[in-house]
Amino acid sequence: MIELQWLIPLLPVLSALLVHLLAGRLGKGVARLSVGIGVVTFVVALWQIVVYIVGGNGPGWIGLTASWGSLYLDPLSATMALVVAGFSLIVRIYSVRYMTEEAGYARFFMLLDLMSASILLFVTAGDLITLLIAWHMVSVMMYFLLGQNTESRPGERYAFWTFITYRIGDLPLVLAAVLLFQAYGALDFPTLFDRLMADPTVEVFGIPAAITAAGLIAISAFAKSAQFPLHTWLPYTMDGPTPVSALMHAGIVNAGGIIINRFAPAFVNADGVLHLLFVVGLFTAVIGSILMLTQNDIKKSLGYSTMGQMGFMIMECGVGAFSLAVFHLIAHGMFKATMFLSSGDLIGDARRHDDVPVNPLYSFLVDRKTGKTRLPWLVIGLVTLIVPLAILVLAHWAVSPDFFQKQGAIVLLFFGWITGVQVLFATHHLDATNPIRMMLMILMSFALIVIGYSFIGHAFETFLYPDAAFRDALYHAAGIDAVTFDGLVVLLGLVVLAGWIGSYLASREESLFGNRFTEMRLTLYSLISRELYISDLYERLSQALLEGSKRINVWTRWR
Amino acid sequence: MSILLLLLAGFFLPLFPLSMVFNALLARFSHPAARVALIVVWPQLGVLLVLAAGLPLDGLHGGLFLWWGLATAAFYAWRLLTVREIGQWAAMLATSAFALTWVMAAASRHAADLQVFALGFAMAPALLVVIATLLERRIGAAYSGLVTGMARDVPRLAGLLTVVLLAAMALPISPGFFAMLDLLFRSPPGPVMLALLTWLLWSWAGTRLLRETVFGPRSGAETADICPAQAWAFTAVIVLAIVLKLIWTGA
Repeated sequence: MIELQWLIPLLPVLSALLVHLLAGRLGKGVARLSVGIGVVTFVVALWQIVVYIVGGNGPGWIGLTASWGSLYLDPLSATMALVVAGFSLIVRIYSVRYMTEEAGYARFFMLLDLMSASILLFVTAGDLITLLIAWHMVSVMMYFLLGQNTESRPGERYAFWTFITYRIGDLPLVLAAVLLFQAYGALDFPTLFDRLMADPTVEVFGIPAAITAAGLIAISAFAKSAQFPLHTWLPYTMDGPTPVSALMHAGIVNAGGIIINRFAPAFVNADGVLHLLFVVGLFTAVIGSILMLTQNDIKKSLGYSTMGQMGFMIMECGVGAFSLAVFHLIAHGMFKATMFLSSGDLIGDARRHDDVPVNPLYSFLVDRKTGKTRLPWLVIGLVTLIVPLAILVLAHWAVSPDFFQKQGAIVLLFFGWITGVQVLFATHHLDATNPIRMMLMILMSFALIVIGYSFIGHAFETFLYPDAAFRDALYHAAGIDAVTFDGLVVLLGLVVLAGWIGSYLASREESLFGNRFTEMRLTLYSLISRELYISDLYERLSQALLEGSKRINVWTRWR
Repeated sequence: MSILLLLLAGFFLPLFPLSMVFNALLARFSHPAARVALIVVWPQLGVLLVLAAGLPLDGLHGGLFLWWGLATAAFYAWRLLTVREIGQWAAMLATSAFALTWVMAAASRHAADLQVFALGFAMAPALLVVIATLLERRIGAAYSGLVTGMARDVPRLAGLLTVVLLAAMALPISPGFFAMLDLLFRSPPGPVMLALLTWLLWSWAGTRLLRETVFGPRSGAETADICPAQAWAFTAVIVLAIVLKLIWTGA
C-alpha cells in the first residue's frame, strides 16, 4: 500500500486549493473543510504505520520518475507523518474558533494546510530534490504564517528574522545534497544510503563527501532548531497567532532532529560531526536555560525554554542516541503544544476567578515558601543521591544489559541522575503532614517515569533502527577515548557540585567570596538579560551591508 | 576570436561593468511589452554568442568568465537590497540571474541547458515588469514604501506580487528554483558557494520588497485591485511556466 503514501502530503495541498477556491462561497465554513481533510490525512498516516508494523515488509520507496519526485516509507517517515498529521489536525481544530475574529481567516487555513503539506512532504521525502523542495517550503510557509497579521510591523519583522535564519540554514543542506549527489551519483535515498554505507570514504574535488555533507546538514539543523548562535529568531516568534506558536514550538523547530535522523547513514561515518552536535547542543541547552531564567517576558522565556530543549535534542544526537532525540522531540512537542493551546483557557480562567488555591503545593511552587524539614538530613542526602541512580541504572539494565559500554547512554544517565537529584532535593522542603509518605510518592513517580521512559524508549529505538549493528555503530561513532571521557565526566560532576553549593549558599544569602565578584556578576546578568547582544550584532552587520549596497548603487547611478 | 565572442556575450549575459548597458536599456524602454521582450530575448542572444565560442567553457578564459559571472551575480544581488523601484529591481535581479549562465556554460555541453536556464530565470523579472506597470498606472509610480499594506485593500494584486517575488527569490516550485538546482548539481564546490550566497541575497532583497509593499499598515494612495480575469491570466502564465519547467526536469 505504498501508493497511499502520496495521499499524506497531497491531501493538505488539495485542502489548501479548495479553501482558496471556495472561500467566497463557503465563508468561514472553509475551516471545517480543512479540518475534515486533516482528519482523513491523519487516518491515512495512521493506516500506513499500522500496515508497516503489521505487514512487516520493510521500507518502501515510490517515485513519479527515476530521478526525483518520490516518497519513502520507513519507520522514521511513518512515525513522523503520524505525529505531524496529528499535531496539525489539533492546531486546525483549535484555530476554527480561535481565529474566527481575525482578518484573513480563509488565508490562514490555506497557509496552515500548505505548511502541513510541506512538513509532511519533508518527513516522507524519498529523494534529495523532494527533500529540498519541502525544506525550502517550510521556510516560506513559516514566514507567511508568522506574518498572518499583515498590518503588524513587529509581526512582519520577526517573520523576516525567522525566514532569513531558515534561508541561512537551507543553503548548507543544498550544498550537502550537491556533494552527496556528486559523490554517489544517486538522488533517491535507498540507493544513496546503500552506496554511502558501502563506501563512506568517497571524495569529491578532494573533499570527503560523507563527513562534509554531515557537517553541512548539522548546520542546517542548527538553523531550523534554533541552536546557538542561530537562535535569535525563536523567542520573538510569539508575535504570530497562538496556533502558529504551537505549531512552531511543537513541530517545526524539531526539523533539525528529523533531518539528522534521516541522514543517519552519513552521521554514522562522521564522528567529528557528532562531537560537534554534542558541543553545540550542550552549549545551546545551557545558554537557553540561562536566558530563560533571566527573561521577565513570559513569552520570551517560553521561547528560550524551547531553545534549551532543542539543545538537549541535538545533544542526544551527538551522543549517538538518535532515536531518543526523535522520542524527545515528540514528547516535547506534545508538552509545548498543550501549553500553548491551553494558554487561552488559563488566561480566561484567571480573569474569571482571581482567587488562588491555598494549599502547600501552591505555596511551595509559586510563593516559594518552604516547610521545615522533619526528616534527618543524612537520610535525605542518601535518598537524594542514591535512589535516583539506582532506579536509572536498574531500569536501563533491564532493557539493555550492555548499556554501560555505550558512552552516550552513560552521559544521558548522568543527566537523568542530576535531574532526579535536583527534583528530590527541591521537593523535600515541601510542607507535608506526612513527610515520609510524600517522599515515597515522589520516588514512586520518579521510578514510574524512568521505567516508562526506558522501556518505551528502548522499544521505540528498536522500531526506528531495527539493525542492532547500526545502533551500536552510532553509539560507537559518538564515543571518545576513555580517559578524556572520564575526565569530562569528573569535570562536569564538579561543575554540578559547585552549582549545588552556590545554589545552597544563595538560598541562605551567603557567599564563599563575599562581595568580591558582585560587579562581575551584575555585568554578567546585564549581558544575559540583553540576550548576549547577539541580535544587536546581527542588526549592525545588516545595516553595514545595506549601507554599502546603497553607496555602490549611488556610485554606479543605479545601473 | 572566441575571447572576443565571449566578451561580446558579456553584454548579453551581463558581466559588470558591461551589464550597465542592459540596465540602461531596460530603464529607457517604457512599454511593458518591449521590456518583457528585452528580458526574454537579451540573454538568449548571449547564449548564442557563447555557443558560437564553443561549449563547455574551459581553460584559463573559461575560468575567468565563470568567476566574473559569479562575482557579477553576487554584486547585483547585494545591490538589489536597496533598490526600491520595482522595474529597476526586476532589471537588477535579471542581471544577477543571467550572469549565472556563465557557470552553467562552464558545466554543460548542451545548448538547450543554457537556453532553458536563461529562460527559467527570465520569468520572474518579466512578470515583475508587468506588475510594475500595473502599479504605475494605478498610483503613478512603482516604488516600495509608496503604498504599504496592499494585502488588506488590494489582495489580488498583493497575492500576485507575492507569488512573483517568491519566484524572483528562486523558491520552490518556481522555474528559477529548478534552474538554480540544475546549476548547483553540475558545479564544483567553489562556484556553488558563491551561487548560494547570491541566492541568499535574493531572498533578503525579496522580503525587503514584500515588507514595503504587501505588509505593513495601510498607507499611501487608494488604489483599485486587478480584476479576476487579470489575476487568472497571470496565474495561468505562472502555472504554465512551472509545468513546462517540471516537464523539462523530468518530473
